[in-house]
Amino acid sequence: MKRKLAGIMAAVMAAATVISGCSGGNSKTTAPGAGNSENASGKEIQMTFPTYLAGENVGAVFFLPEVERFNQKYAGKYKIVIEEVPQAQYAEKIKQLAQQNKLPAIVHAPGSGGIDLQWFKSVVLANGMAYDLSEFANANPEVKNNWIDDSMDYCTVDGKLICKPLSVLKPVGLYYNNTMYKPEKAVKDMKLDEFMESIGDNKFAFQTAENAWTSGLLLTALIANQEGGETYLAQYVDDKLYDYTDAKIVSAISILQKLLQSNASANTIGAAYADAANAFMSKSAAIICNGSWMASDFDEESADKWSNGFTGEEVTSDIYPGNFAIANPRVFGEFWIANTASDEEKELAKAFFAFRDSKEEIEQLVLTEGGVAPKLDYSDEFLKKQAENRILSQLAESMDENTRYTASIFDVMPASVADTEFGKLLPKLADGTLTPEEFCSQLTQKAEEAKN
Amino acid sequence: MKAGKSNSTVLERRNYKWCYLFLLPSLLIFLLFYLSPILTVIATSFTKWDGFNKPVFIGLKNYIDLFHSKTFLISLKNLLAWSVIAATLHVGFGVLMAFVLYAKPKGWKFTRVIFMVPNVISAAAWAMIYKFIFNDDMGILNNLIRRFSPDFHVQWFFQSPYAFWAVTCTWIFYAVIVTLVVLNDLMAVPEEVVEAARVDGASPWQLTRHIMLPLCRNAIGTGVICSITSRIAMYEQIRLTTAGGPGDDTMNIPLILVNSISDMKYGYANANGMVMFVLGLIILAAVNITFRMNDSIY
Repeated sequence: MKRKLAGIMAAVMAAATVISGCSGGNSKTTAPGAGNSENASGKEIQMTFPTYLAGENVGAVFFLPEVERFNQKYAGKYKIVIEEVPQAQYAEKIKQLAQQNKLPAIVHAPGSGGIDLQWFKSVVLANGMAYDLSEFANANPEVKNNWIDDSMDYCTVDGKLICKPLSVLKPVGLYYNNTMYKPEKAVKDMKLDEFMESIGDNKFAFQTAENAWTSGLLLTALIANQEGGETYLAQYVDDKLYDYTDAKIVSAISILQKLLQSNASANTIGAAYADAANAFMSKSAAIICNGSWMASDFDEESADKWSNGFTGEEVTSDIYPGNFAIANPRVFGEFWIANTASDEEKELAKAFFAFRDSKEEIEQLVLTEGGVAPKLDYSDEFLKKQAENRILSQLAESMDENTRYTASIFDVMPASVADTEFGKLLPKLADGTLTPEEFCSQLTQKAEEAKN
Repeated sequence: MKAGKSNSTVLERRNYKWCYLFLLPSLLIFLLFYLSPILTVIATSFTKWDGFNKPVFIGLKNYIDLFHSKTFLISLKNLLAWSVIAATLHVGFGVLMAFVLYAKPKGWKFTRVIFMVPNVISAAAWAMIYKFIFNDDMGILNNLIRRFSPDFHVQWFFQSPYAFWAVTCTWIFYAVIVTLVVLNDLMAVPEEVVEAARVDGASPWQLTRHIMLPLCRNAIGTGVICSITSRIAMYEQIRLTTAGGPGDDTMNIPLILVNSISDMKYGYANANGMVMFVLGLIILAAVNITFRMNDSIY
C-alpha cells in the first residue's frame, strides 16, 4: 500500500513539476494595464510604458529626457518607467498584448512604430479599445489649443477623441552636402527636371534593405511632382493603395530607376538605414532624404559618426523640388490610451499628454527634432534658440505659404509592402532585372496579397 | 493488442495503470500545447480572421489564394531546391564527417571539435555572421576576391542569382545532428560483421559501400528527415539576411506566414501553417518508404 501511495505521489509530482515548469512560475513584474499604482493611499502612481522611442532610436534623444522631466516634475505623484522595445518589434508586441487584453496604458498611434492603420481600425476602433479623450481636451483648453485642427478632426471618430492629436508637424525634406552638391537656387524652388539636371554626378544615399526609407521618401517626392500625384497619394491614405500601375507611379518609378542606376552611392544594394546615413556622413553620397530628426547627427556631439572629412557644417537642409514637403496631419496623432488601463494609469497618461503638449515641451521638441507647431505662439527665447540651429532653421525657413504637404508613399502602402516588400523589390529595379512597369506590377501583386 | 493483453501476466496488467499515470503529464502537455493549437490552426485556416475579431468561415478560399499566389509558388520551388540540397550535400557532408570520425585518423579529435563548435552557434547568429562575411564593402569574401579582381563587387544577399546560394551557405555546412546520428549507428555495427567482411576480402571502400552504409540506413534517413523539415521551417536565416529578397528569390513559407500575420490575415497565415504541416508529413512518409525505415536492418 505504501509503495502504491509512493507511486501515485511520484506521478502526481512529476505531472505538477512539468506543468508548473511550463507555466512560467511566479513573476513580480506587473503586467502593463494591471496598474501597479497606489494612488488611493496617496502614494506614487507608477506605469510601465513600452516604447520604441528609446535606446538607439533617434526619437529617444528628445523623448527619454522628456519622460525624465515629467518624472521630476511629478516626483512622488506620477512615475513613468520606460520599457525599451525595438521599433521593428513594437507593432507585433502591441498586437499580441491587444489579443491578451493587456495593452499598456499609453500606446503609440498607428503610422508610428509599425502599427498599421488597418489594424487600428479593425481591432482598436471596432472594439472600442481606445479611451475617449474629449473630456480631457475640454478640461485642458491650453493643451487643446496647441493641437493641429486637421489632426484633431481626424482623431475624432463618432464624436470621440480617440488619440492625442498632433501639436507638431515634422515635414520631411532632404539634406545635401554643400561642398559636393552646389545648386544654383534652393531645391524647393526648382522644378523636378531642373533638380534632375542640377544633381549631375552627385550620389543619393539610397536604401534598398529594411523598409527602404530614404528611397521611399524620394519616390514620394517624385510621385508628388507628377501631374495630380499629391492628390493621388492623399486619397489612398485611409484605404491604402492596392494598385501601383497608375501612370503617375510608373513614371516616378522610372525616374527612381534612373537615379538608382546612375546616382546611387556605391553601397546602395543591400543598404539599410545605417548604411545610407553612413554613405552621407562619409561623403560617399551628397544627398539624403530624411526627416528633421536627423539634424542632431550633424551636431558636433555626433562627430564620431562622421568620416572621410565630413563635417556637419557642410550640410544644408531643404525640401523637395516643386516646393513639396512630406507631412500628413491627417493621421491618428501620437498616442492613445487603452480603455483597459486602470483609472490611475489613465490619470497618469493624461497628465503626461498635458505635459507633453505644454508650450515649453512643444518648443523643446521643435528645437530638438525640428518641425513646426502651427497653433503655438512661439516665445522669443525659442525663436532665438531656433535661429542658432542652422540646419533646423533652414528647414523651417524653406517652408512658406506656397509649400504643399504630401502624404508619404509609406502612408498608402499596406503594412507588409511598406515594411519589407517595397525594399525587397528595389535591388531588382536597380540592376534592371525589373522594368518600371514590371516593378509596379509586382508591387501591385504584393499589395493584393496583403489585402484582406 | 487483444492477444498481447491476454499474454501479459497479472503483474504486468497491474502495471499498466502506472504506465498510463506516468504518461499523463506528457499527454496533458501534448493536448494543451500541441493538439489544441494544431486543431485551432486547422479550423481557422478555413476562415477569414484578423486575429482579434470572430473568424468568418470562407471554405477553401485561403488555400485557393495560396496556390494562386506567385510568391507561394516561388517559395515551393525554393523549398524543393533547398530540400534536394539538404538531402544530398548537407546530409552527405554530415555522413562523410561521421565516417571520418569513425575511422579515427590522425587529428580526428581536433577535427571533431572544429566541426562541432560552429554547430552550437544559433542559426540567427550565423545569419548575422554571414551577413558580414558576404558584405560587399567590408566582407572577408569580397575583399579576398578583390585581391585577384580589384573591380569585383557583388552584394551576395541582395543580388540575383547569388542571394539563393548565399542563404544556402548559412546552413549547409552545419550538419552535426546528421553526423551524431550516423556516428551512433556506425559505432553500433557489430564487430563480427566487419571482421567477416574483411575475412572475405572486402576492401575498405567495399566495406563502407556495402556494409557500413546500408547498416546506417535508418540514421541517414533520420538525418534526411531532420534536414528537410528544418528547411520547411527555416526562418531566421532568411529574415535576418535577405527577408526573402531580392524580389522573391529567397522567399519561403514561414516568411509568407509571418507577413500574413503582420497584414492581420491569420486565417491565411494558418493555411500556410497547414501546408507546412502536410509537407512535413509527406517528407516523413516519403523518407520512411525510401529508406525502408520500418524494416529491420540486422
